[in-house]
Amino acid sequence: MKKNKIVAALLTVAMVASVLTGCGSSGSGSGNSSGATGEDGVTTDNITLTYWHYEDETTVGLMAEAFMKKYPNIKVECKQIADMSTDLSAAAAAGTFPDVFSGTDSDTALANMYWMDITEYVENDPDMDNMMVSIKNYGIGKFDTDRWFGLPTWYQPSAIFIDRNVITKLNLEMPRTDWTWAEMIQLIKDATVDDRSGMKYYGLGFYNRLDSLYGIAACATAERAIKGEFGFDGTDFDLSYWAIGEQEFGDLQTGGYVAPKQNTQQMEDWSGDWGTWFGATGHVAVFSEGFWSYQNLWGTDGYQEQYGLDIVPYVTPNVVDEKDHNIIANMYIGGVSTSCKHPYEAYLLLKFMGIGTEGWKARLDIYEDESITNASGVALKHANMPVPMTLDTEVWDRYKAMFPTDEEHKKYWDDYFASITRPVPYGWYSIAGYWNFCDQYFNKIGIHDLVDAGTAKAADYAAEATEQANYYHAEAMLSYFGPSGYDVLSEEEIAQYQAVVDSFGS
Amino acid sequence: MSDNKDQAKTNIEETKPKKVKVKRGKLEAREARMGYFFVLPWIIGTLIFVLIPLGQSFYYMWYNIRITPLGTKFTWVGTGNFTQIWLENPEFPQQLVTYIWQTIVEVPIIVVFALIIAMMLNGKIKLKGFFRLIFFLPVIIVSGPVMNMLVSEGASTIPAMNTQAVINALDTFLPTKMANSVGELFGNMIMVLWYSGVQILIFLSALQKVDPSLYEAAKMDGGSGWECFWKITLPTIKNFILLNAVYTVIFLSSNEQNELITMIKNAMFSGTKEKGYGYASAMAWMYSIVVTLIVLLFFLLLGNKRDQYDRLVSKRKRMLKREERLARKIERRGARNVKKLERARRSHRYKTYDGNGDY
Repeated sequence: MKKNKIVAALLTVAMVASVLTGCGSSGSGSGNSSGATGEDGVTTDNITLTYWHYEDETTVGLMAEAFMKKYPNIKVECKQIADMSTDLSAAAAAGTFPDVFSGTDSDTALANMYWMDITEYVENDPDMDNMMVSIKNYGIGKFDTDRWFGLPTWYQPSAIFIDRNVITKLNLEMPRTDWTWAEMIQLIKDATVDDRSGMKYYGLGFYNRLDSLYGIAACATAERAIKGEFGFDGTDFDLSYWAIGEQEFGDLQTGGYVAPKQNTQQMEDWSGDWGTWFGATGHVAVFSEGFWSYQNLWGTDGYQEQYGLDIVPYVTPNVVDEKDHNIIANMYIGGVSTSCKHPYEAYLLLKFMGIGTEGWKARLDIYEDESITNASGVALKHANMPVPMTLDTEVWDRYKAMFPTDEEHKKYWDDYFASITRPVPYGWYSIAGYWNFCDQYFNKIGIHDLVDAGTAKAADYAAEATEQANYYHAEAMLSYFGPSGYDVLSEEEIAQYQAVVDSFGS
Repeated sequence: MSDNKDQAKTNIEETKPKKVKVKRGKLEAREARMGYFFVLPWIIGTLIFVLIPLGQSFYYMWYNIRITPLGTKFTWVGTGNFTQIWLENPEFPQQLVTYIWQTIVEVPIIVVFALIIAMMLNGKIKLKGFFRLIFFLPVIIVSGPVMNMLVSEGASTIPAMNTQAVINALDTFLPTKMANSVGELFGNMIMVLWYSGVQILIFLSALQKVDPSLYEAAKMDGGSGWECFWKITLPTIKNFILLNAVYTVIFLSSNEQNELITMIKNAMFSGTKEKGYGYASAMAWMYSIVVTLIVLLFFLLLGNKRDQYDRLVSKRKRMLKREERLARKIERRGARNVKKLERARRSHRYKTYDGNGDY
């Protein structure tokens, strides 16, 4: 009896102790710092940097090893983010905020001042001269201010793929690789064939809606210098451009030109299997897919042979016949956190993990070795491999070598890669207030569903949506970069954005 | 005169029962200490994880709070969070109304279902322990992420059941909102059954405490099983019905399938400037008031009402008190009249037949 009481008492004490000691915190950028630096300006102290990301864990782990090999006194600890706002706000509250993180939603980072101003580092970095044109010219990471708060860390362009076998079966001609938007729509229509003798051929299968692609491809640069979704030109939105693409896409859907999606009754009716993916049917001509679909699926061993496919990439077309035009892209933005104690070293890590030429060479070493696999047993180049943002020739030669190199397919890939050097990220990566606009207005009105179902016209929403988008953007600019935020806006800019906010709804 | 008063006081004190101070024994004191020691984790837990966060959230709801890597920024907004929720977040009021309807409809169904299953499991059946385990198993297994995964796979619905037909049928005689809530209940029937595990256990323990001699006596008087249920079982376990109803309300209000909980959680961790901890705290407080009102509603409906005998006893007590008050009143009035007459006699206002003033 006495023994039981002692055990019970000890357990109780242990419980109380665990409760009381449960809440602890540790600082970021830990390490003994004496402030000594080497010739390259990098600290000679032993420090630890934390890097949070959205990429494949094995790849990032190996990249971190390569970085630590270059800087033996810097230890890098990596963590994959599950949910950006939840993970980061919890880390901020607990005092365990990462030194560097790469995110998908810039509004969260800017609203909470997660990123520090890294202008000094970026503008004095010779590596930046070799970056893709739009990154430099549009200042992707500057958020329409004159300061750099982030840099792209991961990039995959939008892509249109064509199944050459379907084109051949339907006696159609392959379009030219520098095609226009109208030629693409025409091909989609021509390739939709339902002769009732077998499985219907669809012109288009989509993951990315065409209106997303159209928003920045809608006009000549001379007409409007669009540098973001919804006709964004760096100051204002104009959703009348988007509305044309939205309506066109809606009409294609109601017209029966678009293949059913996976896990739908329509897919079951068409292919006989609820779970079929349209990209594996051999009955779809044009795909508006993620770039990853090639390396993750179509490019894997035996996939195309199994389903009778012959997939080649095409550049996302523009409405006017301009050779060099922007393309929409997935582009994570990373930054150095405001609490980081070693900002320069953190900047070097940020660059190494994303945009830098040296980092990309280390990446290619990892991707080229197909014996290295991730936790799912997949070779790393088949696990969402990004596209280089540097224009370095060596990097690109090595990168291209990982895609089909036979004469028949190489020309498609070469043309495609040549056309993706002007990426423009989706709005939530690079436009302040975009996420709030979508979350609190655009997604709530359900415009996509209405237009897809043919019950509304996109043009009817364009004016109001433009006003709303401009309001959210102006409000975010004032809030993030005005006096209550980073305080980097000039008086003219503040007055300009304030005027938009004040005129909203009047 | 004063002697008489002292005497009376002494008599009163003597009649009062004296409080006997009994010194607590060592064993009893030690047991009490141990008791406090064992509930200490709960007290500390409540303090740290309930009372302090409760106070904090009350404080937070008046502020806009941004948690930055450099520290937390508080900006006083007063009732700004509340106005923003009601004026700019149409989802919250909508979800709140849906939640109220669903809870009011689901609680009775879950409680009744749990009672039926508990009575069946309390009967003389083979493999009683196994069946009890079966009904309690979902409580252990289906919690948190597992539940979310099962629901996303459609495991909470009965595919063969045409929910829309049920809603259409109900819509003919019920308000649309109510018809939808009941219809959704049919859609989530499996989930409702899964939510009954703890309630079944509570009812089982209540049923086992009913005195078997009551049933025996009732049976001897010719009472049927149906009559025994209504006259013996139900009155005996009525407190547990309230307990289960309250438990079910709290469970439905705080489980992960609840959209409002998800909404509050999302607002708490939202990166947008106007949301965050303050906004989520305001939401949570409004929600908790609604939950409290629902609990109160069930308490009023199912709370322990006195039976006929209790009512008669109270009535009799009230009557006796009234009579006592009346008697005291008459006594006081009599005393006053005597004094009045005395004063009148002394002032010779009244004359007796012989003229001396004495009666």
